[in-house]
Amino acid sequence: MGKVYRFFLKMHVGAPSKPIVDVGDKVKRGMLIAEPEGLGAKIHTSVTGKVVKVTDSFIDIEADEVQTKDYVKIKECSSIQEAVFEAGIVGAGGAGFPTHIKLQSKLDDGYIIANCVECEPILNHNIYLIEKEAAKVIRGIKYAMEATNAKKAYIAIKAKNLNAINALKKEIKDDSIEIKEMPDMYPMGEERAVIHQIFGKWLEPTQLPIEANCVVLNTETLYNIACAVEDRKPVIDKDITVAGKLKKGKGPHVLLKVPIGTPIKDLIDMYGGIDGEYGEIIIGGPYTGKAEDLDESYVTKTSGGAIVTIPLPEFKGKLGLLVCACGADEQRLRDIAAKMKSQVVAVTKCKNVVEVRGANKCLTPGDCPGQVQAVMYLKKQGAERILIANCNDCTNTVMGCAPKLNIPVYHHVDHALRTMDMPIPRRLPIDKK
Amino acid sequence: MSMSAEKAQKYLNEPAIVCCRTEEGTIISADNLEDPEIFPDLVASGLLNIPSNCLKVGEVLGAKLVKTIDALTPLTPDLLEGVKVEDTKKVEIPKDAKAVLKVNKKAGDVITLEDLENPINFEKLQDSLLINLTEDVLTVGEVIGKKLIVDAPALTTVKPNMLEGYIKEMEVNNMPQVTSQGTLRIKIAEGKGIDIELPLFAPQPLQVPQVKQEAVSVKPVEKAKEEKEEYQEKEIRRLVRKHYKITEVKFGPETKIEGTTLYIRENICQDALKVDNLVKDIKIDIITPDKYNTYSETIMDVQPIATKEKGSKLGSGVTRVLDGVIVMVTGTDENGVQIGEFGSSEGILEENIMWGRPGCPDKGEIFIKTQVTIAAGTNMERVGPLAAHKATDYITQEIRDALKKVDDSLVVYTEEFVQKRRPGRKKVVIVKEIMGQGAMHDNIILPVEPVGVLGGKPNVDLGNVPVVLSPLEVLDGGIHALTCIGPASKECSRHYWREPLIIEAMNDPEIDLCGVVFVGSPQINSEKFYVSERLGMLIEAMDVDGAIVTTEGFGNNHIDFASHIEQIGMRGVPVVGMSFCAVQGALVVGNEYMKYMIDLNKSEQGIENEILGCNTLCKEDAIRALAMLKTVMAGEEVKAPERQWNPNVKENNLELIEKTYNIKIERVENETSIPMSQKRREKYSTK
Repeated sequence: MGKVYRFFLKMHVGAPSKPIVDVGDKVKRGMLIAEPEGLGAKIHTSVTGKVVKVTDSFIDIEADEVQTKDYVKIKECSSIQEAVFEAGIVGAGGAGFPTHIKLQSKLDDGYIIANCVECEPILNHNIYLIEKEAAKVIRGIKYAMEATNAKKAYIAIKAKNLNAINALKKEIKDDSIEIKEMPDMYPMGEERAVIHQIFGKWLEPTQLPIEANCVVLNTETLYNIACAVEDRKPVIDKDITVAGKLKKGKGPHVLLKVPIGTPIKDLIDMYGGIDGEYGEIIIGGPYTGKAEDLDESYVTKTSGGAIVTIPLPEFKGKLGLLVCACGADEQRLRDIAAKMKSQVVAVTKCKNVVEVRGANKCLTPGDCPGQVQAVMYLKKQGAERILIANCNDCTNTVMGCAPKLNIPVYHHVDHALRTMDMPIPRRLPIDKK
Repeated sequence: MSMSAEKAQKYLNEPAIVCCRTEEGTIISADNLEDPEIFPDLVASGLLNIPSNCLKVGEVLGAKLVKTIDALTPLTPDLLEGVKVEDTKKVEIPKDAKAVLKVNKKAGDVITLEDLENPINFEKLQDSLLINLTEDVLTVGEVIGKKLIVDAPALTTVKPNMLEGYIKEMEVNNMPQVTSQGTLRIKIAEGKGIDIELPLFAPQPLQVPQVKQEAVSVKPVEKAKEEKEEYQEKEIRRLVRKHYKITEVKFGPETKIEGTTLYIRENICQDALKVDNLVKDIKIDIITPDKYNTYSETIMDVQPIATKEKGSKLGSGVTRVLDGVIVMVTGTDENGVQIGEFGSSEGILEENIMWGRPGCPDKGEIFIKTQVTIAAGTNMERVGPLAAHKATDYITQEIRDALKKVDDSLVVYTEEFVQKRRPGRKKVVIVKEIMGQGAMHDNIILPVEPVGVLGGKPNVDLGNVPVVLSPLEVLDGGIHALTCIGPASKECSRHYWREPLIIEAMNDPEIDLCGVVFVGSPQINSEKFYVSERLGMLIEAMDVDGAIVTTEGFGNNHIDFASHIEQIGMRGVPVVGMSFCAVQGALVVGNEYMKYMIDLNKSEQGIENEILGCNTLCKEDAIRALAMLKTVMAGEEVKAPERQWNPNVKENNLELIEKTYNIKIERVENETSIPMSQKRREKYSTK
């Protein structure tokens, strides 16, 4: 039996797409296999082969021995939005919002914001893509501008990524596109944080960027737009960063154009497999990624990373959880606490967390509202130590009070960053604030 | 030609360039890549232009080629997918960092480096109250390889009571207690190999604890032992040099020393002439500083005037030496041919001597300069130069005899050399390659008198096989150098008398200098390898941790020099080589063990400039060689040299050493500090 690729029917915001293939169907790389019903996106197979399983949530395709780079092209389209829709483009940064919807906005005096911040530590594939394909990313911005009638675009990118910035500068031919350099902080890449950084104004968590007269698109999404328009290529490949306890070195290793549906295990095996004992496999970045079962994980349109971490530190005591919208949610923190063998005695949220359509949102990402009450509450509930999920600024505030209350502090990204020998978030340096 | 996988591992940071046409879709492996060793030649010949965005070998291995490319195409990001963007940085945790567990460990687990936390986050973890780095937390170096006796989760600091083999010192100290009832109580918390022996009837019970303490502390505190005792210095032998000052040298009716005046018998040359029938003429010039600008035939040797006191053997006991005066051997054959090969230093003395080199006169000294004429054509035979030396030594011996009679009241100062061994330190041997091709290339090893002739054995006669001398034997004139190689790299007899590498190594508390091996350089290649293989076996038997191989000259003898290094290196012993190389003396042969080289060049142009001693081993070179050897022995890498000779490498290294050890290293001068001879102006001047 050949290798099986799995295509989830919900790799985007909206309803799951509806399969249009049946078991036994032969498919060719690039062929449409599922259509959206309502809000959603088209799904194409990344491999040539045979459909072996169709369920409500996924389609499994057994790949032929021989695979090609070629693909079945999407139809000739009359507009950019149509091409984007046909290509099944969704936000590749993680959220998966269908891009054709965003591009229906009319931004007569507005802006396209290219979100090239890639603020999750360890992940590196967006910056790498820019270094390699700056021209195509810029063309993607141009298409987005054309589609929305925006006169101006900003590229938000961390100032530390000099090579990427230089690569972009080389390709920017006029002043309709401008680079905005961002500080190296988490969560600088959050949509509203980017808008705040550029325009100095906070959107309400319920507001969409359109209310600031702009559309925010991730690096890879922009690249995919260019692919759809120029090459009539559907979204069938994904860039991803693989890192951590791997036999061939911890990386981060960047893989460009991994066929969607590829088992994550294959990527791990490319680097020699897992090196010894491990803690979790985080799919996504350390902050917002989730630990997943290796055998159940496949590359999707929004996969960002696969990080194999060292085991979590054991703490067989009472643990308090501090949930934040910018990092892990309660479920994720409970998951980590269980792996630490800790007893969760209390959970609280950062007071900036608001729930919007079932997801936690922060009122002012990267701008702390104060944490002392939350820490005191957890202590009062009997927590001997706390596990936090805050952004850099909030973590700094927690560090200002918890140790004084004699409460040791874990951060939910510690084990991932310690795996990589990267600095963990705690207090911010005073001079940078 | 492609590389092996092992080689690719070695060159992870070199540019990745395909060796042959490579098809789209190829997963790049070492087989596809060109050997980086040849890149410099390819670049120099214009066959290759390495772009700035060329990826490194380590980055491309395992990546997939997206289009078919031709041979010798540098791999750039646009040609590949699956490139590793960052080198997998190997994080070095310093051995003296505190040991904090990175992962959860169980009792019975042995701690490895990978189990320990990177110190970069210590401050934050401590700030978060997750760790507490107290005094008693052990260091990384102390815990690696140790077995845990308790379960310990990640982020636990490792302390002595968690490890097998560590007994709390307190318990050891207090352990045996003699109670008032007269019973002995011994409480052992943890321990291994404890051997307690008690006298059955202790008349005075209080003595008991004393005996036991040692027995109990068998294994526990290995580390404390290391730190406190470190190593023990063991004195092997001493050598005393009594210095007698000479301010004037005159001819007189007999050879004698009066006060600071040395008289040489007027008719001494008549007797010296009889020493060897190859000697056709001999005369003595007394060169005082005001005569430095006179002409001389080529300088064959510079020798100290020294003698052993009665009952002292060369290399120990007491040696008497005259200060302010040296013997200089010069000569030609009857046809006026200089006794020298590859350059000679005849000419105005002050234009041809690099003052102050270990093997040269110091400025201000008086030379007793013999000018010997030997039978025509014998300048290229062993007997010829030897005859010149023997005739000169006749004169020196008469001065030595006079020196033996001098009263101790004339001693101006006494110098003492102590040879020590330092068990526990890295054991190091110095190998000095000396010339032994015959003809004019020979040395007399271990004469009875310092730099004498009598009693010594020529290394050529000994088959040039390795001979071990103690450092003090070398410094006491154990080598009488007959060598007539190019003046600039030639080690005159005085060089050994003041050999800087031996002095530095002998006095370096960080190493254990075990001896100095002299090995000759025979003429014939098969003999060269015979000799170097013996050297290899000798080194193998010595069990040293490191070696330094030096050589004088360049060219032919570099064949043995390379072979010596190979023979030592292939036995897993780190080895540093020292030779004049620069431009003119660039190595003619090489091997994979010749990675750690010290160039002795001092000349401005990197050449044999025919100035006596210019490119010989000086203190600054000795310091560099030792620093390099210690670096290599510590397992650190030494950067590969640049392709072209670049004198800045040396300067950078010296500055690095000065900074690390916080010392000032004097740089010696070169030929630019002395007047330029007509010959040099014609032959070498490029300005």
